[in-house]
Order: sequence, then C-alpha cells, then structure tokens
Amino acid sequence: MQTLTDLDLPHLPVETPAFAENPLRYLAEARAKHPWIASSSIGYLVHDYGAIRELLGQDDKLRPAYDGIVEQLGAHGTPWGRFTEEQMISLPVEQHRLLRDTFAAKFTPRYANQMRPMMQGTIRRLLDEWAPKGRFDFEEFASYFPISNMFTLVGAPREEIPSIRASFETLGLAFSMDKRRMPAIHEAFGRVEALVQRLIAERRAHPESGNRDDLLHLLIQTSDEGGIAERQLADLLIFLFVAGYDTSKNVLTHTMYLLLQRPEIYERCGQDHAYCGKVLEEAIRYYNPGQVPRFTSRDVAFRDVLIPRDTMLWFTLSISGRDPIAFPDPERFDPDRQIEPTRRHIAFSLGKHMCLGQFIARAQLQEALHQIPQRLRNPRLVGKFGWRPFPGIWGLHGLPIEFEPVEA
Amino acid sequence: MPKIKYIEPNGVEHVVELQPGQSVMQGAVWNGIPGIVAECGGSCACGTCRVYVDESWREKTGQASDMEDATMEIREDSRPGKRLSCQLTVTAELDGLVVRIPESQW
Ligand code: HEM
Ligand code: FES
Repeated sequence: MQTLTDLDLPHLPVETPAFAENPLRYLAEARAKHPWIASSSIGYLVHDYGAIRELLGQDDKLRPAYDGIVEQLGAHGTPWGRFTEEQMISLPVEQHRLLRDTFAAKFTPRYANQMRPMMQGTIRRLLDEWAPKGRFDFEEFASYFPISNMFTLVGAPREEIPSIRASFETLGLAFSMDKRRMPAIHEAFGRVEALVQRLIAERRAHPESGNRDDLLHLLIQTSDEGGIAERQLADLLIFLFVAGYDTSKNVLTHTMYLLLQRPEIYERCGQDHAYCGKVLEEAIRYYNPGQVPRFTSRDVAFRDVLIPRDTMLWFTLSISGRDPIAFPDPERFDPDRQIEPTRRHIAFSLGKHMCLGQFIARAQLQEALHQIPQRLRNPRLVGKFGWRPFPGIWGLHGLPIEFEPVEA
Repeated sequence: MPKIKYIEPNGVEHVVELQPGQSVMQGAVWNGIPGIVAECGGSCACGTCRVYVDESWREKTGQASDMEDATMEIREDSRPGKRLSCQLTVTAELDGLVVRIPESQW
C-alpha cells in the first residue's frame, strides 16, 4: 500500500478561471494519471464518482473541514472565522445531531410539500414583476427566489431581502479560497449577523408579530428552554440563509442555461409538473454547485492508498455526475435516463451531513421550473456569461436572456 | 443473535445475523443486499432505506414515528407495512423478522 503523499498525482489548477470554465477537460487528463484523486493548491480532490460514493458516507472516518478552510484563509479569530468553525455542520458529532434533530421536522418531504403553495406564490409574484421586462439577467432574477422562500420558512420579513441580498452573494463566495475576497466577506458577514440578531430581538420583543408555526418561533422556543445557546441561534439562522441561497440559485440558473439549448424540454416543463421533477434530477446530475471539504479523522486505507489522518480532501460533487465510468454517455442530457440506485447523483452529499434542505430545494426548483416556461416564452441567450470560482460553490455568473413575456 | 430476512422484489432472499441495537438498514448495507440505498447513513433524513415489514411482524416492530412517516413522503406509497429500515432497531424479539425491499427507493 502506498501513502498518499508518496504518489505522483496530477495537479489541478482549481483556482483558475480556465478550470472553472471547463473542469471536465482537466479531469479527463487527470484521470489518465490517477483514477480517483488529484492534488491542488487547496488540498486533495477526490473526483471519481465511485470513490466519492464509497468514501463520503463514512462518517466514522471523515469530519467536515470548515476549520481547515478558515485556517487556509488565515481567518481564525475573526467573526466570520468563528462562525465557520462553529456553524452547525462543524459541530462535534453529538451536538450536531441534537441540533439537527431540533428542527429536522421543518425540512421533511412532507413539510416541503406543504410549503409548495407558498413557493408557487413566490415565483408567481417574481414573474409578475420581472417578465414584463422582456430581457434580464436570469441569475439576478433567480437570486430572489430561494431566499424569499427561506425568509418565509424562517419567519423573517421579506422586505429585508433587497438590502441584504448582496451580502449573501458575497458570503456565497467565501469558500472560493481566495484571500483577496476576505475583506468583503468579513464586511458581508457583519451585515448578515447584525440582521439576524435584530430579527431575533424583534421577534422576542413581539412574539405576536410572527407565526407560531415558523422556524424562528421554534428556534426561539427551544433556545428559551435551554436547548440552544443564544449564539447558536443566530449562527443557525445565518447558516440556513447562506446554505439555501446560492446553491438553489445556481442550480436554477444552470438548469435554465441547459434548457435554453433544449427548447422542447423547456416547453414541456411549462405543461407537465411531474416532468419538471425529472428534468431537475437530470439537471442536478449534469451540474451541481458543491465541493465538500473533509478531514480524515484517522488513517484511511482506500483502494490501495493510505490517506493519513488529518488530510484535507475535497469531494467534487459538482462534476461527479459527468464521470464517464459511472454514467454512460454522460454528456447527453436526458430527463428519462434510467436511475440506477447506486448511480444516482450525489449533489446533496451522503451521510449524516446530507443536505437538510434537499426536499425544500427540490420542491421550490420544481415549482419554478414549471412556471417559468409559462411566462417567459422562447428564451434565448443574448450576451456573455462567466463562471464562478470552482472551489466552494461553483456555477454560472450571469445569464443574460431575452424572451417574449406572457401575462399570467 | 437475531436473524433478519430480506426479500428482494425478484424473490431472492437474504438472511443476516445482527447484533441487538444495530439497525435493519445496517444489516443490508454491510452485507451488500441491493435495493436499500441509505444515502444519509441512518439519519432518518433521506427516505432511501424503505422496506415493507411482513404482515405477521408489524405488531412487534410497532409504528413509524411522525418524523419517519414525514420522511417517507418522498413519494406516494400506499403499500402497507412501509418503514425506514434505519429506524428499525434489532432486538431479540425481532429474531426472524421478514422485510421486503421495494423495486425502487424513488
Ligand atoms: C439545490 C440546492 C442545494 C444543494 C445542491 C445543496 C447541497 C448541499 C451539500 C452538498 C451539503 C453537504 C455539505 C457538507 O457535507 O459539507 C449540504 C448541507 C446542508 N444544506 Fe444544502 N443544498 C441545497 C439547498 C439547500 C437549502 C434550500 C437549504 C435550506 C433550506 C439547505 C440547507 C442545508 C443544511 C442545513 C446543510 C447542513 C446539514 C448538516 O450538516 O447536517 N440546503 N447541502
Ligand atoms: S438511511 Fe436515510 S432515512 Fe434511513
């Protein structure tokens, strides 16, 4: 068995714009040199679908490496650094489980389905406002959708969104591992933290202003009963806002990009609600935003390689669905693709940190995918778009489109 | 140790011995029994470890919790006896338990 550090691994320039634009090209070359792992300036990348599937769910061998990110960015001791090291996903096993169990009932498929009428209303109102323009940046449009739903779910006033959205946008780039962004990230974090503290204080002062069924009520109640520390309460809201913001936005934007090139599928989405679900699953296989950071919590032997304890690994979920070994003809976008149980996309991760918001995300994206084609006819790309940095939350940057508006 | 029988949709049977305290999901995953995907590793969060408890055993396994029921709503399913196998903890009393695996978890 060889130790990881002794291997001659391919090196992936994940920090470059060229990589963000076309990671698959680099991946194909890397795979020729080593089938499942590569090195990079931010740590090792486990990129093979099968390897991710086998390793990532092994919670007894891995732990979230958000503290490693803070360290690489030299942000230990800052408010954002503290938050990132102590956020829900970074907590010790027992604390994480207790916290997650506290509000998991607000994230079940049942609850997500109950929220659908609210989500339908959100996208309808947004389309009422944006469709008459005839031309806009789809990413900007999309950015208002998940966060509006999230605010409602939490019980936060939606009027706050326009002034705080830019800060979510900045925080979404925090894990891009670029130190030059740190001053902006610290500033954005300060704004979001202040907002969240104000929301909690306002609700405490006026409990009657909220809904007894919303998440904020539940969290404040649990906190008052001693189940959650005050600090954790604020951290949790920040985490939920950030976790639900650009992941869903980027998926919606990229799905639109795919459908701009596939007008028949786009048309059908407007007519067939169930079909939208299939299109979404295929779109998430084809592209999803996440790279998941982990430390090995002990020496791990995997496929004849010894990965020493405390090695930082990034699992590239984002492009794992295009792995030619796992998915036949991976570049073909086919919503009717047969889903093998052990070959399903892993966009929401695996194991005990599996995305808590996966059913909320799916429900809201399905509702959007159904209504958008009904209101934006014949959309076409009318300008250039870019790519967000690959590390962290990857995705399209901007998607200028033009279309014929349809009134509701 | 209690023995659990898993029946695949095509009729193939697997019998596995488990320690009390382990889950029916773990028995399937550790022994490579196909069809129980268990993406969240037993957190009652993914709904991909569904099984159907054989009628004669339902009294002993008891009812799904509200949380478990809510998670099983990833899809419509009116077939009786449905449970998430990660929430079925093996006890001496469940020796001989028979569960059926669905065609698909989705
Ligand atoms: C398509 C959209 C989304 C994608 C692709 C996505 C992806 C992910 C991934 C990959 C993780 C695992 C991170 C890790 O293990 O380090 C995760 C965790 C999480 N996500 Fe999502 N997510 C999405 C939407 C959402 C939404 C809408 C919410 C909130 C409503 C949300 C809340 C969470 C939470 C709370 C966790 C942490 C779970 C834990 O540590 O137990 N996500 N998500
Ligand atoms: S393993 Fe995920 S719900 Fe049972």
